[in-house]
Amino acid sequence: MREVFVNMGQIHGMAGDGILTTVGLGSCVGVALYDSSAQVGVMGHIFLPQSRPHSAKVELPGKFADTAIPALIEEAVRLGAQKRRLWAKLAGGANLFANLAGPNGNIGMQNIQAVLAHLKLHDIPVVGQDVAGHHGRKMRFYVDTGRVTVTAIGKDPIDI
Amino acid sequence: MTSRKVDFLRELGTIGVGHATIALSDMLQGKLLRLEVPDVRILRFGELAEFIGGLDQTVAGVFIQISGDVSGYMAFILPVECAAVLVKLLVGNGRSGEVFDALGRSAIEELGNIMITSYLNALSALTGLVMKPSIPGLAIDMAGAVWQSILAGALVDDEVTLIRTEFSAEGVAIDGNIILLPAEDEFKKIARVLGLEEM
Repeated sequence: MREVFVNMGQIHGMAGDGILTTVGLGSCVGVALYDSSAQVGVMGHIFLPQSRPHSAKVELPGKFADTAIPALIEEAVRLGAQKRRLWAKLAGGANLFANLAGPNGNIGMQNIQAVLAHLKLHDIPVVGQDVAGHHGRKMRFYVDTGRVTVTAIGKDPIDI
Repeated sequence: MTSRKVDFLRELGTIGVGHATIALSDMLQGKLLRLEVPDVRILRFGELAEFIGGLDQTVAGVFIQISGDVSGYMAFILPVECAAVLVKLLVGNGRSGEVFDALGRSAIEELGNIMITSYLNALSALTGLVMKPSIPGLAIDMAGAVWQSILAGALVDDEVTLIRTEFSAEGVAIDGNIILLPAEDEFKKIARVLGLEEM
Protein backbone atom coordinates (compact mmCIF):
# COMPACT_ATOMS: atom_id res chain seq x y z
CA MET A 1 0.00 0.00 0.00
CA ARG A 2 1.23 3.50 -0.82
CA GLU A 3 2.59 5.37 2.22
CA VAL A 4 3.19 9.12 2.15
CA PHE A 5 5.14 10.87 4.92
CA VAL A 6 3.87 14.19 6.16
CA ASN A 7 6.74 16.29 7.51
CA MET A 8 6.58 19.41 9.68
CA GLY A 9 4.38 22.06 8.12
CA GLN A 10 3.25 19.82 5.25
CA ILE A 11 -0.21 18.78 4.10
CA HIS A 12 -0.83 15.65 2.05
CA GLY A 13 -3.99 13.95 0.93
CA MET A 14 -5.14 10.90 -0.97
CA ALA A 15 -8.25 9.12 -2.17
CA GLY A 16 -8.82 5.36 -1.94
CA ASP A 17 -6.01 3.11 -0.84
CA GLY A 18 -2.98 4.35 1.07
CA ILE A 19 -1.42 5.44 4.32
CA LEU A 20 -0.57 8.94 5.49
CA THR A 21 2.12 8.94 8.19
CA THR A 22 3.70 11.54 10.44
CA VAL A 23 6.77 10.51 12.38
CA GLY A 24 8.01 12.29 15.45
CA LEU A 25 5.17 14.44 16.70
CA GLY A 26 6.40 16.27 19.79
CA SER A 27 4.66 19.57 20.47
CA CYS A 28 3.35 19.43 16.88
CA VAL A 29 -0.19 18.22 16.30
CA GLY A 30 -0.99 15.71 13.58
CA VAL A 31 -4.48 16.24 12.14
CA ALA A 32 -6.32 13.68 10.02
CA LEU A 33 -9.51 14.72 8.20
CA TYR A 34 -11.66 12.03 6.61
CA ASP A 35 -14.73 11.65 4.45
CA SER A 36 -15.61 7.95 4.58
CA SER A 37 -18.17 8.07 1.75
CA ALA A 38 -15.63 9.54 -0.64
CA GLN A 39 -12.75 7.59 0.94
CA VAL A 40 -10.70 10.79 1.00
CA GLY A 41 -8.19 11.54 3.72
CA VAL A 42 -5.85 14.47 4.31
CA MET A 43 -3.22 14.91 6.97
CA GLY A 44 -1.37 17.91 8.36
CA HIS A 45 1.61 18.23 10.71
CA ILE A 46 1.02 21.52 12.52
CA PHE A 47 4.04 23.23 14.07
CA LEU A 48 2.75 26.38 15.82
CA PRO A 49 -0.70 27.67 16.85
CA GLN A 50 -0.76 30.98 15.02
CA SER A 51 0.73 32.44 11.84
CA ARG A 52 2.52 35.73 12.34
CA PRO A 53 0.53 38.82 11.49
CA HIS A 54 3.48 40.43 9.66
CA SER A 55 3.95 37.62 7.18
CA ALA A 56 1.60 38.64 4.40
CA LYS A 57 2.13 35.39 2.55
CA VAL A 58 2.49 32.22 4.57
CA GLU A 59 4.94 30.01 2.73
CA LEU A 60 3.65 26.78 4.25
CA PRO A 61 0.00 27.10 5.33
CA GLY A 62 0.30 23.70 7.00
CA LYS A 63 2.76 25.10 9.53
CA PHE A 64 0.23 27.03 11.62
CA ALA A 65 -3.12 25.88 13.03
CA ASP A 66 -5.03 28.95 11.81
CA THR A 67 -3.88 28.52 8.20
CA ALA A 68 -3.58 24.71 8.20
CA ILE A 69 -7.20 23.82 9.00
CA PRO A 70 -8.68 25.77 6.02
CA ALA A 71 -5.89 24.41 3.78
CA LEU A 72 -6.61 20.82 4.90
CA ILE A 73 -10.32 21.25 4.19
CA GLU A 74 -9.57 22.75 0.79
CA GLU A 75 -7.29 19.84 -0.10
CA ALA A 76 -9.90 17.27 1.04
CA VAL A 77 -12.58 18.95 -1.08
CA ARG A 78 -10.22 19.11 -4.05
CA LEU A 79 -9.79 15.32 -3.75
CA GLY A 80 -13.54 14.78 -3.77
CA ALA A 81 -14.58 15.02 -0.12
CA GLN A 82 -17.62 16.95 1.06
CA LYS A 83 -16.88 19.38 3.86
CA ARG A 84 -20.05 18.52 5.85
CA ARG A 85 -19.04 14.84 6.00
CA LEU A 86 -15.51 15.42 7.34
CA TRP A 87 -14.44 14.27 10.78
CA ALA A 88 -11.08 14.80 12.49
CA LYS A 89 -8.64 12.73 14.54
CA LEU A 90 -5.69 14.32 16.35
CA ALA A 91 -2.43 13.20 17.91
CA GLY A 92 0.52 15.02 19.45
CA GLY A 93 0.70 18.32 21.31
CA ALA A 94 3.02 16.89 23.95
CA ASN A 95 5.35 18.81 26.23
CA LEU A 96 8.68 16.99 26.03
CA PHE A 97 10.71 19.57 27.90
CA ALA A 98 9.24 20.50 31.25
CA ASN A 99 11.41 23.65 31.35
CA LEU A 100 9.78 25.06 28.22
CA ALA A 101 6.41 26.08 29.60
CA GLY A 102 5.90 29.82 29.23
CA PRO A 103 3.27 32.14 30.71
CA ASN A 104 0.71 30.87 28.18
CA GLY A 105 1.38 27.21 28.89
CA ASN A 106 3.45 24.99 26.67
CA ILE A 107 3.42 25.05 22.86
CA GLY A 108 1.94 21.55 22.65
CA MET A 109 -1.12 22.64 24.62
CA GLN A 110 -1.42 25.87 22.62
CA ASN A 111 -1.31 23.83 19.41
CA ILE A 112 -4.07 21.47 20.62
CA GLN A 113 -6.30 24.37 21.66
CA ALA A 114 -5.76 26.23 18.39
CA VAL A 115 -6.49 23.12 16.30
CA LEU A 116 -9.68 22.37 18.27
CA ALA A 117 -10.84 26.00 17.96
CA HIS A 118 -10.31 26.10 14.18
CA LEU A 119 -12.00 22.71 13.67
CA LYS A 120 -14.97 23.98 15.66
CA LEU A 121 -15.10 27.10 13.52
CA HIS A 122 -15.64 24.81 10.51
CA ASP A 123 -18.07 22.46 12.34
CA ILE A 124 -15.77 19.48 11.99
CA PRO A 125 -16.29 16.95 14.80
CA VAL A 126 -13.29 15.41 16.55
CA VAL A 127 -13.98 11.67 16.77
CA GLY A 128 -10.65 10.52 18.17
CA GLN A 129 -7.56 11.92 19.83
CA ASP A 130 -4.41 11.03 21.69
CA VAL A 131 -2.87 14.33 22.75
CA ALA A 132 -0.79 16.12 25.42
CA GLY A 133 1.42 14.21 27.88
CA HIS A 134 5.21 14.19 27.73
CA HIS A 135 6.15 11.78 24.92
CA GLY A 136 6.59 11.79 21.16
CA ARG A 137 4.19 10.03 18.82
CA LYS A 138 3.98 8.47 15.37
CA MET A 139 0.60 8.68 13.63
CA ARG A 140 -0.58 6.48 10.73
CA PHE A 141 -3.81 7.16 8.87
CA TYR A 142 -5.25 4.37 6.70
CA VAL A 143 -7.24 6.17 4.06
CA ASP A 144 -9.20 3.10 2.88
CA THR A 145 -10.95 2.74 6.27
CA GLY A 146 -10.24 5.93 8.24
CA ARG A 147 -8.38 3.96 10.87
CA VAL A 148 -5.73 5.98 12.73
CA THR A 149 -3.06 4.35 14.89
CA VAL A 150 -0.69 6.09 17.27
CA THR A 151 2.58 4.60 18.48
CA ALA A 152 5.03 5.85 21.10
CA ILE A 153 8.31 4.50 22.45
CA GLY A 154 7.70 1.91 25.15
CA LYS A 155 3.92 1.91 24.67
CA ASP A 156 1.56 -0.39 22.81
CA PRO A 157 0.09 1.09 19.60
CA ILE A 158 -3.44 2.41 20.01
CA ASP A 159 -6.33 3.08 17.65
CA ILE A 160 -7.95 6.46 18.01
CA MET B 1 23.88 35.02 4.12
CA THR B 2 27.39 36.08 3.17
CA SER B 3 30.36 33.75 3.44
CA ARG B 4 31.83 36.20 5.98
CA LYS B 5 28.82 35.64 8.17
CA VAL B 6 29.16 31.88 7.88
CA ASP B 7 32.85 32.20 8.82
CA PHE B 8 31.92 34.33 11.81
CA LEU B 9 29.31 31.83 12.97
CA ARG B 10 31.70 28.94 12.46
CA GLU B 11 34.28 30.77 14.56
CA LEU B 12 31.72 31.32 17.33
CA GLY B 13 30.86 27.64 17.17
CA THR B 14 34.51 26.64 17.34
CA ILE B 15 35.14 28.75 20.43
CA GLY B 16 31.97 27.62 22.18
CA VAL B 17 32.32 23.97 21.36
CA GLY B 18 36.02 24.00 22.20
CA HIS B 19 35.13 24.97 25.75
CA ALA B 20 32.19 22.59 25.89
CA THR B 21 34.33 19.63 24.90
CA ILE B 22 37.05 20.55 27.38
CA ALA B 23 34.35 20.46 30.07
CA LEU B 24 33.14 17.10 28.80
CA SER B 25 36.67 15.76 28.61
CA ASP B 26 37.20 16.77 32.26
CA MET B 27 34.03 14.93 33.23
CA LEU B 28 35.22 11.86 31.34
CA GLN B 29 38.74 12.11 32.76
CA GLY B 30 40.35 12.94 29.46
CA LYS B 31 38.64 10.24 27.43
CA LEU B 32 37.48 12.66 24.78
CA LEU B 33 39.32 12.08 21.57
CA ARG B 34 38.14 14.08 18.66
CA LEU B 35 36.12 17.12 17.77
CA GLU B 36 34.92 18.12 14.32
CA VAL B 37 35.01 21.60 12.87
CA PRO B 38 31.60 23.17 13.42
CA ASP B 39 29.15 22.99 10.59
CA VAL B 40 27.09 26.12 9.98
CA ARG B 41 23.82 25.45 8.21
CA ILE B 42 21.19 27.83 7.08
CA LEU B 43 18.15 25.72 6.29
CA ARG B 44 14.72 26.44 4.92
CA PHE B 45 12.00 25.18 7.24
CA GLY B 46 11.04 22.55 4.67
CA GLU B 47 14.57 21.15 4.62
CA LEU B 48 14.67 20.38 8.34
CA ALA B 49 13.15 16.89 8.25
CA GLU B 50 15.76 15.68 5.79
CA PHE B 51 18.55 17.35 7.79
CA ILE B 52 17.43 15.65 11.01
CA GLY B 53 17.10 12.25 9.32
CA GLY B 54 15.97 9.04 11.06
CA LEU B 55 12.91 10.75 12.52
CA ASP B 56 11.82 7.72 14.54
CA GLN B 57 15.28 6.81 15.89
CA THR B 58 15.53 7.37 19.62
CA VAL B 59 17.69 10.29 20.75
CA ALA B 60 18.50 12.07 24.00
CA GLY B 61 18.11 15.84 23.88
CA VAL B 62 19.00 18.47 26.46
CA PHE B 63 17.43 21.86 25.83
CA ILE B 64 18.19 25.24 27.41
CA GLN B 65 16.82 28.73 26.90
CA ILE B 66 19.27 31.64 26.89
CA SER B 67 18.36 35.00 28.35
CA GLY B 68 20.25 38.18 29.18
CA ASP B 69 21.89 40.49 26.62
CA VAL B 70 21.52 37.79 23.99
CA SER B 71 18.51 35.51 23.86
CA GLY B 72 18.28 32.22 22.07
CA TYR B 73 18.20 28.48 22.49
CA MET B 74 20.74 25.74 22.75
CA ALA B 75 20.44 22.01 22.58
CA PHE B 76 22.65 18.98 22.89
CA ILE B 77 21.24 16.02 20.96
CA LEU B 78 22.71 12.58 20.49
CA PRO B 79 21.54 9.08 19.55
CA VAL B 80 20.37 7.12 22.57
CA GLU B 81 23.13 4.50 22.12
CA CYS B 82 25.76 7.27 22.32
CA ALA B 83 24.05 8.73 25.37
CA ALA B 84 24.21 5.27 26.94
CA VAL B 85 27.98 5.10 26.26
CA LEU B 86 28.47 8.46 27.98
CA VAL B 87 26.28 7.49 30.94
CA LYS B 88 28.31 4.32 31.39
CA LEU B 89 31.56 6.31 31.22
CA LEU B 90 30.22 8.78 33.77
CA VAL B 91 28.35 6.67 36.30
CA GLY B 92 28.70 3.13 35.03
CA ASN B 93 30.94 1.60 37.63
CA GLY B 94 29.29 -1.50 39.01
CA ARG B 95 25.83 -0.44 37.86
CA SER B 96 23.53 -2.92 36.20
CA GLY B 97 20.03 -2.75 34.80
CA GLU B 98 18.37 0.21 33.10
CA VAL B 99 20.91 2.77 31.80
CA PHE B 100 18.41 5.63 31.84
CA ASP B 101 17.12 5.30 35.38
CA ALA B 102 16.95 8.43 37.52
CA LEU B 103 20.75 8.50 37.92
CA GLY B 104 21.41 7.89 34.23
CA ARG B 105 18.92 10.57 33.16
CA SER B 106 20.35 13.02 35.60
CA ALA B 107 23.90 12.26 34.38
CA ILE B 108 23.05 12.95 30.74
CA GLU B 109 21.05 16.06 31.64
CA GLU B 110 23.95 17.40 33.69
CA LEU B 111 26.43 16.56 30.96
CA GLY B 112 24.35 18.51 28.43
CA ASN B 113 23.96 21.32 30.92
CA ILE B 114 27.70 21.60 31.53
CA MET B 115 28.54 21.51 27.82
CA ILE B 116 25.98 24.16 26.97
CA THR B 117 26.96 26.36 29.92
CA SER B 118 30.66 26.11 28.99
CA TYR B 119 29.79 27.08 25.44
CA LEU B 120 27.86 30.11 26.63
CA ASN B 121 30.53 31.13 29.13
CA ALA B 122 33.09 31.14 26.33
CA LEU B 123 30.89 33.37 24.17
CA SER B 124 30.17 35.64 27.16
CA ALA B 125 33.86 35.99 27.97
CA LEU B 126 34.61 36.84 24.34
CA THR B 127 31.88 39.45 23.96
CA GLY B 128 31.18 40.72 27.47
CA LEU B 129 27.51 40.03 26.78
CA VAL B 130 25.45 38.24 29.42
CA MET B 131 24.08 34.89 28.21
CA LYS B 132 22.29 33.21 31.04
CA PRO B 133 21.17 29.58 30.67
CA SER B 134 17.83 28.39 32.03
CA ILE B 135 17.56 25.15 33.93
CA PRO B 136 18.01 22.27 31.47
CA GLY B 137 15.27 20.00 30.20
CA LEU B 138 15.87 16.43 29.05
CA ALA B 139 13.85 14.29 26.66
CA ILE B 140 14.65 10.76 25.50
CA ASP B 141 12.29 10.15 22.62
CA MET B 142 11.87 9.94 18.82
CA ALA B 143 14.38 12.21 17.03
CA GLY B 144 11.60 13.93 15.11
CA ALA B 145 9.69 14.71 18.28
CA VAL B 146 12.75 15.98 20.16
CA TRP B 147 14.03 18.19 17.33
CA GLN B 148 10.56 19.42 16.52
CA SER B 149 9.86 20.39 20.14
CA ILE B 150 13.16 22.29 20.31
CA LEU B 151 12.51 24.12 17.04
CA ALA B 152 8.95 24.98 18.10
CA GLY B 153 10.23 26.12 21.50
CA ALA B 154 12.62 28.43 19.65
CA LEU B 155 9.70 29.62 17.46
CA VAL B 156 11.84 29.22 14.35
CA ASP B 157 10.67 31.09 11.29
CA ASP B 158 11.07 30.19 7.63
CA GLU B 159 14.84 30.03 7.87
CA VAL B 160 16.84 28.30 10.58
CA THR B 161 20.50 28.92 11.35
CA LEU B 162 22.15 26.00 13.09
CA ILE B 163 25.69 25.79 14.39
CA ARG B 164 26.34 22.11 14.86
CA THR B 165 29.41 20.23 16.01
CA GLU B 166 30.06 16.52 16.28
CA PHE B 167 32.62 14.77 18.43
CA SER B 168 33.70 11.31 19.45
CA ALA B 169 34.72 9.81 22.79
CA GLU B 170 36.52 6.69 23.99
CA GLY B 171 37.04 5.41 20.48
CA VAL B 172 33.28 5.35 20.04
CA ALA B 173 31.82 7.78 17.56
CA ILE B 174 29.45 9.94 19.54
CA ASP B 175 27.41 11.75 16.95
CA GLY B 176 26.65 14.39 19.51
CA ASN B 177 25.24 17.61 18.16
CA ILE B 178 25.56 20.88 20.00
CA ILE B 179 23.18 23.33 18.41
CA LEU B 180 22.92 27.06 18.91
CA LEU B 181 19.71 28.68 17.72
CA PRO B 182 19.76 32.44 18.25
CA ALA B 183 17.31 34.82 16.67
CA GLU B 184 18.65 36.59 13.57
CA ASP B 185 19.17 39.91 15.37
CA GLU B 186 21.13 38.25 18.13
CA PHE B 187 23.97 37.29 15.79
CA LYS B 188 24.26 40.95 14.84
CA LYS B 189 24.50 41.94 18.49
CA ILE B 190 27.47 39.63 19.00
CA ALA B 191 29.10 40.77 15.74
CA ARG B 192 28.70 44.44 16.72
CA VAL B 193 30.33 43.91 20.11
CA LEU B 194 33.26 42.22 18.40
CA GLY B 195 33.70 45.27 16.16
CA LEU B 196 32.63 43.52 13.00
CA GLU B 197 30.68 45.57 10.54
CA GLU B 198 27.07 44.75 9.86
CA MET B 199 26.69 41.33 8.31
